Amino acid sequence: MLTQLKENIVYPEPKKQNIIIEVNELNVYYKNNHAVKNVSLPIRERSITALIGPSGCGKSTFLRTINRMNDLIPGAKCQGEIMYDGINLLDKKIDVVALRKEIGMVFQKPNPFPKSIYENIAMPLKFAGIRGKKRLNDIVEESLYQAALLDEVKDRLSQSALSLSGGQQQRLCIARALALKPKVLLLDEPTSALDPVSSAKIEDLLLSLKKQVSLAVVTHNMQQAARIADQTAFFYEGEVVEYNDTSIMFTKPVYKKTEDYINGRFG
Amino acid sequence: MIVKNGESSLDHKTVNRRLIKENVSYRTFLSRNSENRGKILIFICASLIMAATMSITLFLTLQGIRSFTVDGLNPIKFLTGIHWNPESHQHASYGALPFIFGSFTVTILAALIAAPIGIGSALFMTEIAKTWGQKMLQPVIEILVGIPSVVYGLIGLSVIVPFIRSQFGGLGFGMLAAAIVVGIMILPTVASLAADAIKSVPDEWRQASYALGATKWQTIYKVVIPAALPSLLTAVVLGMARAFGEALAVQMVIGNAKVLPHSLIEPAATLTTMITLSMGHTTDGSVLNDALWSLGLILLIMTYIFIILIRFLSKRGRLS
Repeated sequence: MLTQLKENIVYPEPKKQNIIIEVNELNVYYKNNHAVKNVSLPIRERSITALIGPSGCGKSTFLRTINRMNDLIPGAKCQGEIMYDGINLLDKKIDVVALRKEIGMVFQKPNPFPKSIYENIAMPLKFAGIRGKKRLNDIVEESLYQAALLDEVKDRLSQSALSLSGGQQQRLCIARALALKPKVLLLDEPTSALDPVSSAKIEDLLLSLKKQVSLAVVTHNMQQAARIADQTAFFYEGEVVEYNDTSIMFTKPVYKKTEDYINGRFG
Repeated sequence: MIVKNGESSLDHKTVNRRLIKENVSYRTFLSRNSENRGKILIFICASLIMAATMSITLFLTLQGIRSFTVDGLNPIKFLTGIHWNPESHQHASYGALPFIFGSFTVTILAALIAAPIGIGSALFMTEIAKTWGQKMLQPVIEILVGIPSVVYGLIGLSVIVPFIRSQFGGLGFGMLAAAIVVGIMILPTVASLAADAIKSVPDEWRQASYALGATKWQTIYKVVIPAALPSLLTAVVLGMARAFGEALAVQMVIGNAKVLPHSLIEPAATLTTMITLSMGHTTDGSVLNDALWSLGLILLIMTYIFIILIRFLSKRGRLS
């Protein structure tokens, strides 16, 4: 697993069986900007957690902190706890490269590499040192099948990934993220750059994926959150206002702010 | 309303003329609110450049083929002959191969020196030490570009030539010394063009790579370099074009022997050094003078080939 961990780190028992990532009192700062304030949130195993909220409320930052993509931004600073498999992911000794292989990420804009469809999915395998033509072929095919893209592209695997439509590109990016069999997949507004038909395909895909991975999805689209998410967290100005099962959240929100946002009164 | 190509439905109607183009006439052609003044000015600038390029090409071609048409030199012998002996009265020979060979060897060796170092420092500047690289390395490279070639030649003469002499024996003058000097000269060109090429690789591909568990080095050599490769090659070829045309610094360290050298540390000559060395001692219309023009023509043709290569590379780089 995260092989660089040393023995002096305490391994506490997971508090609940079905929580895969537990965030406790997380604070993220960009230089002087306090982007995420005291956020505590669980991400449950084999379910979809939606993060909703108006723009600039810290939900993308929160997501990027989980697989340490924020490390790449100069001046970003994190405090708190992100417990995963009994260890704090914010610890200095975490091997972020190994971490990102277990906690994958898909971005807002489809970002396939300017290479063939096959090479795009083989890329993370090569990063991980997986070799052998047969083995690569099997994993590429499996990943494309999981991402519901195999039928559309199986005859043109050697063509450029950039020749695919936007929705296909995004599914390719999901297939690519699945190639290393991550335990958690973080998706940052995966459908906001896509048309409604492509978005619907991605939503179906996410619902089918939750059998094998735990998903956290940032979305601006309330209907989308209501359709696909098991749990929903409402972010506002860097704080989590409310977190609950989606069915409860969208019918009986506890806070006025949540109700106003869900009903489109601001945001 | 259907409007046919080239026709206007407004022609024969009495309508509000405010939004309709006036007919072009002598009076309105250069009026203050016409676009034509600016257009003409820009067109003149563009045609000047084109005229300059075309007349240089034409002039050099006409002068360069004189040695074959007027003086009766055999073009094949000129390109493949290895003896350059214009002073001899009975057996004057004009074989340009040693200089063509010298030019190519120096250019390729210089590119071999400049490409890895230039691309390496560009990667360091843009991918590894961004702030430090931009603050320190960028100005250093700009200064390197600005140093006159005679200074590079002097340094080559006083540092590199003695170094080669002490390490490998011989005089120290030769293609190796020239390649090192020119390699350092084109290094900043290659480095800054390569840095631009790497900077233009979209950040989303780096993000994707990191998110898939790539290390920094894997991101650089599996994602960034392949994406920037056509532009990186263009940077190297542009540096080679500069190396091919460099005369002064090369002349100071190459030894200027009009023979085909047997090793990199023997004195040799290039097309450019031959022209700068001999042109002053010839008279217009003499065979030697014409032969030197022919060397110039070869240089021009090579420059065109480099430019075509660059265009080809950058066209191939645009992804569908």
